[in-house]
Amino acid sequence: MRRLLEYALLAAALIFADRVANAGELHVPTNATAGSEATISTSGSGSATFYLFGPGTAVKRSIQLGSDVHLSAKDLQYSGSYTAVLGGENAAATFYVSPGKAADLAFLARPSRVPASTRQVISGTAFVFDANHNLVTQPTNVNFSLGVNGGKAEARSVKTKDGVAYVILDSERQAGPAQFTSSLDDTNVRRVVQVVASDPCNLRMSAKPAKNAILVETEPIRDCAGNPVPDGTIVTFTEVDNTGRSTVDARIKKGIAEATLPQSQSALLSVASGVVVGNEIHWGGH
Amino acid sequence: MAKRLFPLAFGLLFLSGSLFAAQPVQVQLSTSGVAPREVEDNTEKAIIRDYQRAWQSLAAALSENRTDLLANDFIGYAQDELHRRVAEQQNSGLHTRFIDHGHSLKAIMYSQDGSAMQLRDTAQIEVQQLDGNSVIHSDQITQSYLVVMTAGENRWKVRILQALPSEQ
Repeated sequence: MRRLLEYALLAAALIFADRVANAGELHVPTNATAGSEATISTSGSGSATFYLFGPGTAVKRSIQLGSDVHLSAKDLQYSGSYTAVLGGENAAATFYVSPGKAADLAFLARPSRVPASTRQVISGTAFVFDANHNLVTQPTNVNFSLGVNGGKAEARSVKTKDGVAYVILDSERQAGPAQFTSSLDDTNVRRVVQVVASDPCNLRMSAKPAKNAILVETEPIRDCAGNPVPDGTIVTFTEVDNTGRSTVDARIKKGIAEATLPQSQSALLSVASGVVVGNEIHWGGH
Repeated sequence: MAKRLFPLAFGLLFLSGSLFAAQPVQVQLSTSGVAPREVEDNTEKAIIRDYQRAWQSLAAALSENRTDLLANDFIGYAQDELHRRVAEQQNSGLHTRFIDHGHSLKAIMYSQDGSAMQLRDTAQIEVQQLDGNSVIHSDQITQSYLVVMTAGENRWKVRILQALPSEQ
């Protein structure tokens, strides 16, 4: 009876040793890159089901243990953490796939329209990707450039942190469509930021008598950098006399604004646009 | 009486099923040190709310192999990647189940114009991979992610969700 038990234990030990010797194992890559092929080697004997789970990937294949499992560039298109599993073998391994080389940019530029000569008003944010749209986490230089045609462009080189680089820039003195570009080696992305004249500078008007009225008219209205203030901007003319106050809002048309104020023997005339106040005229005996 | 009680019981059963499917996801957000713009209180609340929803959608989509569940919370490359994962799972009869133990988010960059935010997430998740109804692998992991969320019409959507290697 005792001998029988010993034989049974020996047989069980041999079966266990055989199972251990033939059990499947996985050897995953240690330096895989997104969008590149890789190989997972297996050991053991017999057949098994191989599974791969990762970002954008779920693979199921029948394999022979002891052979290599070939993973295509498409299987490993995305950067991230992958888990390889041998079904029924209690074998699994995790490996990391790094992003590839920087190859593409996404560029956010805001706003699309800004007043000239304004500090810290234009922002640009660049996201650096590899050829498979993975964020490249290795620090990479991104070149930003902002300039109106014919003017001197402002250029900055910024190193990415976690795949992102940003700049905040002043607007140009000169109005017009500014080219805002971010570039990375051969790749560049361009956005247009429309720089418009800022608030009027030296707002001046003149007045002359008209039929039963006073005709007021500004000189050509420009900002402090000499850019013409856009047509349609509101200019307010005010007349104060002993009968009260009259106000007329006029739009700039072809660079100037004009209005007709009520006739008065004696009045104080003034002009303003936004927060900018222009000259005053003492009309008649005021 | 029984006829009246049946819809009520059915409704309660349905409700309890829905609540089970959409388990709450714990998200904490730190905004200290974010640049170049500070995060407003309302934005902070919106990011937490929308990131919670995004993980609920992701878990449901990968468990049920339904891409339609991703549309409200993911956009761009993150959405493309998840669509492909769901399609490949569907083709092979595979599923992934997440038991979410919480996310610790840190805002890294909030764009000057307020349209994009980059964050780092340290997630505690139990992941189960299934072939049909059989669990073929299960793992309890702590995983870091780089996340980019962009402001949409009425919510923030996840545009990039990229796992980082364990040492980062």
